[in-house]
Order: sequence, then C-alpha cells, then structure tokens
Amino acid sequence: MLAQIVINGILKGGLYALMAMGMSLIWGVMDIINIAHGSFIMLGAFTTYWLFTLLGIDPFVSLIFSISILFVIGYGIQKYLINLIIRASAFITLILAFGIEIFINNAALVAWTADVRKVKVAYGASNFSLGDWVTIPTVRLLAFMLVIVIGTIFFFILNRTDLGRSIRSTAQDLDAAQLVGVDVARTYALTFGLGVGAAGAAGTLWSILFPISPMMGGILTLKSFVVVIIGGLGSMLGPILGGLTLGVAEAMGSTWFGSTYENLISFTILVLVLILRPKGILGGAD
Amino acid sequence: MAILQANRISKHFDGLVAVNKVSFVLNPGEILGLIGPNGAGKTTVVNMIAGVYPPTEGEIHFKGKPIHGLKPYRIGRMGIARTFQVVKPFPGMTVKENVAVGAMFGARGKRRSAKEAMEKAEEVLEFVGLADQKDRRADQLGVAFRKRLEMAKALAMSPDVVLFDEVMAGLNFGEIDQAVQMIQKIRHSGITILVIEHVMRAIKNLCDRVFVLHHGEKIADGPVEEVLNDENVIKAYLGKRFKELTH
Amino acid sequence: MKHNALRSFFICGLILIGMALFPLFTNNFIIRFGTDILMFAIMASAWNIIGGYTGYASFGNVVFFGIGAYTTAVLMEKAGFGFALAYASSGLLAAVFAILVGLPVLRLRGHYFAIATLGVAEAMKALVQNLEITEGNSGIYLPMLDMSVRGQYYFFFYMMLATLVACLLTTYILLNAKFGYSLIAIREDEDAANSVGINTTYAKTMAFSLSALFTGFAGSIYAYQQAFIKPEPAFTVHTTVKMIVMAVFGGMGKLFGPLLGAFSIEVISEILSDHFLVAHALFFGTIVILAIVFTPKGIMDIITERKLNVSYFLENIRKHRV
Ligand SMILES: Nc1ncnc2c1ncn2[C@@H]1O[C@H](COP(=O)(O)OP(=O)(O)OP(=O)(O)O)[C@@H](O)[C@H]1O
Ligand SMILES: [Mg+2]
Repeated sequence: MLAQIVINGILKGGLYALMAMGMSLIWGVMDIINIAHGSFIMLGAFTTYWLFTLLGIDPFVSLIFSISILFVIGYGIQKYLINLIIRASAFITLILAFGIEIFINNAALVAWTADVRKVKVAYGASNFSLGDWVTIPTVRLLAFMLVIVIGTIFFFILNRTDLGRSIRSTAQDLDAAQLVGVDVARTYALTFGLGVGAAGAAGTLWSILFPISPMMGGILTLKSFVVVIIGGLGSMLGPILGGLTLGVAEAMGSTWFGSTYENLISFTILVLVLILRPKGILGGAD
Repeated sequence: MAILQANRISKHFDGLVAVNKVSFVLNPGEILGLIGPNGAGKTTVVNMIAGVYPPTEGEIHFKGKPIHGLKPYRIGRMGIARTFQVVKPFPGMTVKENVAVGAMFGARGKRRSAKEAMEKAEEVLEFVGLADQKDRRADQLGVAFRKRLEMAKALAMSPDVVLFDEVMAGLNFGEIDQAVQMIQKIRHSGITILVIEHVMRAIKNLCDRVFVLHHGEKIADGPVEEVLNDENVIKAYLGKRFKELTH
Repeated sequence: MKHNALRSFFICGLILIGMALFPLFTNNFIIRFGTDILMFAIMASAWNIIGGYTGYASFGNVVFFGIGAYTTAVLMEKAGFGFALAYASSGLLAAVFAILVGLPVLRLRGHYFAIATLGVAEAMKALVQNLEITEGNSGIYLPMLDMSVRGQYYFFFYMMLATLVACLLTTYILLNAKFGYSLIAIREDEDAANSVGINTTYAKTMAFSLSALFTGFAGSIYAYQQAFIKPEPAFTVHTTVKMIVMAVFGGMGKLFGPLLGAFSIEVISEILSDHFLVAHALFFGTIVILAIVFTPKGIMDIITERKLNVSYFLENIRKHRV
C-alpha cells in the first residue's frame, strides 16, 4: 500500500520536475518569474493533441515537435518582448509575463473553446505488476524515463557546451558577460527558448496522462513554483528533488486526507519552505 | 569610562574567521582610527557594532550597556550612527529627504516631528556643505557628494558615536582635505568618532589613537606615530600600501 | 508650494463631489459599473500601500478580500450579525491575519515575498474549499439587503466610495507623517533604513496590515452586494493580478495612480467586452503587455511629466532593453 503510494508519487513527481526545470532555468539565469509557464505547458499539450487527432502522430513522437515549436515561440517572445524591458525592475517583467499568460490562454480559448479534451492512445491504460503488491502504469513509467533523458540533455547543454557557458556567465553578471563579448540578447532568447521548450515537453507528457484544456496552465504554474522553491535555484538537481518531494507528499496527503486537500498540502509546503529554508532544501539555511 | 567597548569579539562566516577575538575601547570625545589591508575585517567590526549581525562570540558595550545582538535600528536610536563603505542613499528621495529620515528616526527621532526633522536636515546640510544640492535626487549625485550625503545622514541622527567606514575612498586631494576638516568639526561638536581609512594622510591628521587589523586579528594599538612605525604593521601593509605608509 | 497644495486640494474636492453626485443622474447599470470601479480602486490603492510605497510586491492581496467576504458571510448568515458590525469585523480580521502572516513572510524579499504571498492566498483558498463553516465549494448565501432596488444600488456605491475615500485619506495622512517616510525608506534601501533607526519589521507589518484592512472592507461590501460567495471568485489570483496591473498602469507609489488605473482598465475592459464578446480578454492581455513595455512608470508619470509623445515611449524602451 505505502509502496504503491510512494511509487505513484515518484512517477508524478518526475513530471513535476520536468515542469519546473524550465522555470528554474529562466528564473535562475534572468531573474524572471515566468507566470506564463503553465500556458506554455498547455501549448505543448495541445500541439500533441492536434498532431495525434489530425495526423495520428504518436504522442511520444510528437515530443520533438512540441519541444521545437515551443522553443521557437519562447525565443521570439524573449527576443522581441521581454528583452525590451529586462533592465526594468524584476517586478515589471513579472507583470509582463502575466500579460503574456492572459494573452496565450485567451487565444487558446478563442481557438479551441473551453472543452476538456483527451489524447486517447491505445496503450493508455496498460500497466504491469511488480511482485503482487505494486502496479506500475506503463505510460507513466515511460514518461518518467523521458523526464530523466530530457533532464540529462539539459544538464549536458548547460555544462558542456559554449551556449551553456554563455548562459552561466550572463546569469552571474549581465554587464560583465556583455563586456567579454557574450551576445546577451541572443543568450537570453536561447535560454527562454530552452526553458519554454522544456515546458512544451512537459505539456506533451501531461497530455498523455491527464485531460487538457486551455485554462489548465494556472495551477501548473503554481505547482512549478512550489517545486522550484522546494528544490532551490541554481542546479538541475533542485527541480528533480523538489518534484519528487511534491509528488510523494501529494500522493500521501491525498490518500490520507482526501484528494480535495492536494492543493492545501502543496501550498502549505510552499509557504513553510519559504519561511524556514528560503533557499530550498538543497540551499543552506538562510 | 569608555563610551564604546568591544571585548574579544569574533565573527565567523561559514568556515572563514573574518574577525578573531578583537578588543578595543573608544573613549568619549576621541577620534580612533582603524586601519588594515583589504579584507582585514574592518567593515565586519563596524557591522557587528551596528547590529547588522551579532558577533559569533564576545561582547560590545555602549555607555556601559550590552548592545551585541540588538537590531540595527535599536542601536541607531541609542546613539550610534554609521556610514556604509558602499554608500546606501535612498536613491529616489531628494538629498534633503535622505537626511531628514536620519533626523526623524535617529537618537532624537522620537522627539522630532516630520517638520522639525526637515529643519534639522537643513542645518546638517549646511554643516556638510550640501545645502545647494538639497533638492536633487540622491541618485543623481557624484561620488564626493554621495560620500558627504552618507555622512550627513549619520550626523542627522544626533549620535554620540559615529562610525565612518572609508568616507574618503574615491575622493581627490582637495576633497580629502575638506573631509578631514569636517571630521574635526564633528569632533568639536562633541561626537566620538571611529574612522576606517586607507588614506594615511587623513589618519595622521585626525586620529588620537589607531589600531590595526590583519587577517581579522588586532596586531597593534596605540598613538598614531608609534603604530605606523611598528614593524609588524609595516610588514602587514608591505607591497601596495608600503609607500603611502612611510610618507 | 502653498498655491499648488491649495489647487490640488480644490481639484480633489471637485472630483469627490463629482463622484458623489454622479449616481443621482444615471441608471442602475452605470451605477453598478461605477461600484465595480470603486471596488477595484480600493483594492489597487490598498495594494499601493504595501506594493507601491513599501516596495513589497504582494501577489496574495486577494486573500484579504476573500477573508473580508467570508467573514461578512459567516457572521451575517451564521451568527446573525448586522452588516455594520460584520463590515468592521471583516476589515479587522483581515488586518490581524496580515500581521500574523506578515511577521514571517515579510522577512523574505523580492520574488520570494511575491511567491510566498501567492502561496498564502492559494493555501487559504484551498482551506476555505475544505472547511465546513465556509460550506466548501458550494458557497454561502447572505441575507439580502432590505431596500428598494434603486436604494440598493445607492447603498453599495456609497459604501465603496466611503471606503475608498477613507483609504486614500489614511494613505495621504500617513505619507506626510514619519510613518510614510519609513515606508519609502524601506522601499529605497531597507538596510539603510534599518541602520538609520527605522524599526523596519514594525513599519512593513503595519503597512501590510493597513493594506489588508481596506482590502477586507472591499471584500465585505462585495459579499453583501453579491448575496452569495464561493471560494473561486472570492480568492482568485486574477483579482490580485487585476489590482496590481491597475496600480502599475496608473502609477505605483502615487496617491491617485491606482484610482486612475482602476478607472482606465475597467473602462477599457468594458468597451472591449462590448465589442468583442469572446476575444476581449485577449485584447486585455495585449493592453497589459503594451502598457508595461511602453509606460512602465504608469500614466500618472505621463500626466505629471506632461510628456505624451513617441520619444517618451522609445526612451523607456531604450533604458530597459538589453
Ligand atoms: N557577509 C559576509 N559573508 C561572508 N564573508 C564575508 C561577509 N562579509 C565579509 N566577509 C569576508 O570577511 C573578510 C573581511 O571582510 P571586511 O569587509 O570586513 O574587510 P575590510 O577590512 O572592510 O576590507 P576593505 O578594506 O576591502 O573594505 C573578507 O574575507 C570578506 O570576504
Ligand atoms: Mg571594508
């Protein structure tokens, strides 16, 4: 029983981790709190939905499309919008992100109506048993493994490539990076593109597992916040740890208190972590 | 009796010992100098006195009362004012408002209305020679004026003790002389002063006594001439600052 | 100086009289629209105290609105209170809640404070959805105001107007007192403020609490006006967004900025939803984006600086882009 709950929690936590990875990157590098993050996840989900429904492309294959499309969208938004006000107070960028969120959600609403939709893949409900006490849904396990792959690619890009080096140097000091010849505007755009691309991937995986609708983004943004805060900024390990913690805490909480308490649990954790360990579980105390 | 006394105070940052068991006294009416190479722990001493963080160990007494562990605003109200080495004006306020805030909340703040604080601000601005800048926004001032504003904010608090953390850094010779004269005037108004300075000319002209920090430890304490000729002190400063010292 | 103050005073008086007389000459629909503007003006002005003057961008102020609304609902429906007492209790409870939450949360700065307040609001919504006394997701009905229809429209309009005037007056008085200077000093440089003798914890907690007080009052009137409330609209994050956008659009840290912002944003949204039934929120998002990019300091800045031309907008971009 407990093992099943923990496994469910870990599987969902992997998805949370992927959701938060992009947000953490954008936040850590540019000090932008991307309120629109959930909306990008939604766009990723709908990309997969339409590719599946209209062209019959398998969701796991459409991952490539959702990541690329969202990368381009993210790149453009940063380059032609957020870069214009990046030196204003961080608070201003936050409101701009709110504007973007309202825009995307409502554009989706106009285009696709408020209907709740499902990607109905044939293998959706298949699962297998480990021993005779734990059941593992195949799709969730696959999704979880993909999260690890994508996380590893992310880690590789940030730590082993020239792009990663420019990203890390602009994160430390914008002006200094500019002085040594880093094209900051482009680096920022690429960073936002990467973060939003990861959101697109999360959207694809989400659409395989859960119903989707244009308004699904809000709560996902909030969940991503919780994950980023729990894990702390500054490393790829943060979102993973945060995601797994949240996933397991929610799974346990909703088993013991009922699923209506899921949000109460997430947000209480969020506030407590902020008050007690503002730099996250990994960061030092204060 | 000493007005301010530090007794074997230390400050540890994670593994780093920034200040190690340092003791000193500040007598009423004197100007005490604090010198030492970069990273010696001078600003850390000021921060401990001002309550930015408590000492890891040791005690600080002001007028006989323990003040270590109190919040900065309590210490400010008791009569200790400080300047910040990296100046901290209220950028969006005018020069006069900046200084008035000091007058409103400092040692005599409780007895001053907002209007009286404005009058006090005018008086202090006159004293430090910023009167003609009073309506400019603080973030539009140049270095020299910013340093003076930092001093004016501290003085407006009507303190008994001020801690000046490198108020002359970045000034030219003429401006340094003005600052030296101003600090002398401040002493004559009855305020006790601790000056941290790399500018030795200023230390020589101002201080009654001086003590030296090196790697967080006190290596000398005494009359200025004596300390500046101390072999350990010269060694600690060897290199960059050696020439300045011997001149 | 004197002359200027007198003129501003005179202008304010005229505007106030105008607002007070306006319902007498119009229909119920417009009065109700005016009441909505006033409600958001209260919330944006109250947000301005903590977000604009003190520099702590609260992203959870809707929690005070929700607490105000639910306090009124529960007290009137379950404890048989009259509205006057319920109204006062709503504001006070929100203010006390702000003190309790503020003490730990106001130690956080910047984004962390913003997200913590957002979390508090969402946690409170989830709690209200699960509590019995608030009747969970099914919501609570309130007793109806016993008055003619026209009388009801007047009642809620003037309640909102009185609360707004109280809020602005309080802000004005505090700003010119030492307390106001302590808030602005905290916004400009909190460490310097502390070292200069300002009890920063006290000052910002009080600012948060005052902000909560008036937001709670607005929630109370809203609940009575609706006669029925549910967790979702009462605690929705969109209300917080709206008050912030209004304060920023009008001009934060300016006394009348939020009022101006509330008025313009509400009028713009109303016109948009008249013309574009489905897409009005889309246009609203566009306006937020354009406003932030071109006038990050708000329309109050344009008015006081008297600079309404292309180069003003381009200058803003030049300063902030990379
Ligand atoms: N808040 C802090 N956290 C960690 N280390 C610190 C902190 N403040 C100071 N230090 C370290 O403590 C040591 C002493 O620093 P301090 O600023 O007191 O030197 P200083 O004598 O004022 O030097 P300078 O002449 O450059 O102003 C330095 O090694 C510094 O890096
Ligand atoms: Mg120093």
